[in-house]
Amino acid sequence: MVEQAAGRWAPRVPGMIAGGLVVIGLLLSVFVGWGFLIVVGLGAFGPGILRELGWLRDQDEFQRQAAHRAGYHAYLIGGLATVLIVAGLRWSGTDVEVSSEWIVLIMVVLWLTWLFSALLAYWGAPKTTSRVLMVFGSFWAVFVLAHLVSEPPRLTNPESLLGLLMGIVFVGPWFLLAYTAGRWPRLTGTLLLVVSAVFLALMAPGWAAGSLELSTMLVTAALLIVPLAASGIALLREGTRELGN
Amino acid sequence: MSPQHEVSNQVRRHRRQLDGMTQQELADRVGVTRQTILSIERGRYNPSVGLALRLAETFGVTVEALFEIDRREHHG
Repeated sequence: MVEQAAGRWAPRVPGMIAGGLVVIGLLLSVFVGWGFLIVVGLGAFGPGILRELGWLRDQDEFQRQAAHRAGYHAYLIGGLATVLIVAGLRWSGTDVEVSSEWIVLIMVVLWLTWLFSALLAYWGAPKTTSRVLMVFGSFWAVFVLAHLVSEPPRLTNPESLLGLLMGIVFVGPWFLLAYTAGRWPRLTGTLLLVVSAVFLALMAPGWAAGSLELSTMLVTAALLIVPLAASGIALLREGTRELGN
Repeated sequence: MSPQHEVSNQVRRHRRQLDGMTQQELADRVGVTRQTILSIERGRYNPSVGLALRLAETFGVTVEALFEIDRREHHG
């Protein structure tokens, strides 16, 4: 039997422990030493391993099916990404003694594909997209707050005030899109694809000018642009299916 | 080209007939999450034989009364 949260959804204990390990591991890695990435690995992969061993029974059959199917998707996309990277590096004559950033990129692709696919199967496109956008909005708000604390705006400086205003103004649309994802999936999906294209256009000059490493740009794109574009496509598909029914 | 059999179900109808049982109550009875019940009712997920039997038992009907196959041939 699955442990049930009464009433509405609430994070389950294994999920909270795993999430806590990932956050603590990331903080320790950045501020103490990269060896603590092991803690991130424990949080990210530990619950799945325990479930496969049959020592953790916190999911029902639908959740397990979604996770297994997402694993296959992650294998396909992650495998394809790996082949493309190795082929590209060898083709360009780059020394294949790769930096850890390339490995991080492959991990990001694998993990994001798995997460997105599992959530799409379990929650459906509108709810998944709504949650993804809330996470984006929350991160954006945290960055604005962190910037406020590190560099308090000077009220006499119009540029400083404008920067603060822009930061605050850009938090709102993420939550607005999270709200509209379930009501107008096709409109929201289209807007998300436009936002993804704008982000890509903003990043491209930096890469073309050589100020960004290709691997760094791809990791940023995988974390910032791909989730938005994938959410947009999933919503458009959902909207089209609704019209067909 | 192979025929794909879509499964339709009467879970929502039977649940409502049981004194308006909520999805959460049904989920608790059969040991799954509310999202799983919701997905079954919307036809997004076909349950295992075990879960189908537990659902049928909860409603006091046969599995055949709860689930049926739409035999439609899907091209492409």
